[in-house]
Amino acid sequence: MTDDTQALAEGLRRRDPEVLDRLIEQYQQRLYRYLLFLTGEPALAEDLFQETWIRVLERGHQYNAKSKFESWLFAIARNLAIDVSRRKKFRSLEELADPESHQPFEPPDDHAISALQLLVARENEQAVQLSLLKIPAYYREVLLLRFHEELGLEEIATVLSTPISTVKSRLYRGLDALKSAMPGGAA
Amino acid sequence: MNENAHSRAQKLFAQSLVEGLDAAEQSWLEQHLHECAECSCEAATTQKLLQAFRSVPVSAPRDLAARTQLRVRLRAQESARTSSNALLWVITAASWLLGVFSAPLIWRGFAWVGTQLNLPKPVLELGFVLWWTIPALIAVAVVLQQRAAGVIGAGSRH
Repeated sequence: MTDDTQALAEGLRRRDPEVLDRLIEQYQQRLYRYLLFLTGEPALAEDLFQETWIRVLERGHQYNAKSKFESWLFAIARNLAIDVSRRKKFRSLEELADPESHQPFEPPDDHAISALQLLVARENEQAVQLSLLKIPAYYREVLLLRFHEELGLEEIATVLSTPISTVKSRLYRGLDALKSAMPGGAA
Repeated sequence: MNENAHSRAQKLFAQSLVEGLDAAEQSWLEQHLHECAECSCEAATTQKLLQAFRSVPVSAPRDLAARTQLRVRLRAQESARTSSNALLWVITAASWLLGVFSAPLIWRGFAWVGTQLNLPKPVLELGFVLWWTIPALIAVAVVLQQRAAGVIGAGSRH
């Protein structure tokens, strides 16, 4: 446990507003991106972003500094996203809780896809980025955590509350799904 | 080169991305990719794909952090107020119970002092009433002062 992590845990336990302000600044891009990838809806991602930090305030004393802060943060955000999806009956996000028990993913709805499309379509590598939208949310999620956030397998397992073996299998399948979703990719 | 070598290379390449390889496997894979144009091309395509994945342009709205910081601070103040109110109720209840059960003893004490000092009964009764009300009035003053300080503090921060 590093001194920084220990100091962070103590700050959270004290509900130190300065510590929370700094964390919000520091993780704003990463957390928002993760939530946008999960939900596909900017407005919902913003709501969940705020709710996540309220949850961090209220449950800061539970952070034990044994795991990385971002793993704990993403796990909170993920659980909130699943709760919201259950309330709103978003099938795609609910599958994050137990994707193996469901049929292969279908995009949540046209509105959600088009919202994310608007964001990603601005750049040059449109074809690749849009192919992301075709792959299941639970594969997109592990790919993001591994290759974008560069979390380790153990940290991803903490975020997802699943065994490392499940994380690995989702990553392998996710890579295959991403390649297949590319124009001209193997179906 | 046989089919098994190509499929082993593909498997190892995926493994290198997901969980890493040991030195022997890494060396074998590099050698194979060096010699096999087809596998090398596929590996390069996958790398490009991941590069594109990493470059998906997503940025948080400019004021999202500020809005969240404000909301978190307001919630923290609200929670602090709620817990302070809960503590006040507990103290009040404990004080009330203590008062009810100790009143006969206190009254006897006042009566004894009154007899010793030869004080008139209204003075004793007034003293008895003040004995109970002064601590409560002090507690109310403290709470009101704390609330006023909280409102002023919140106002100056925002």
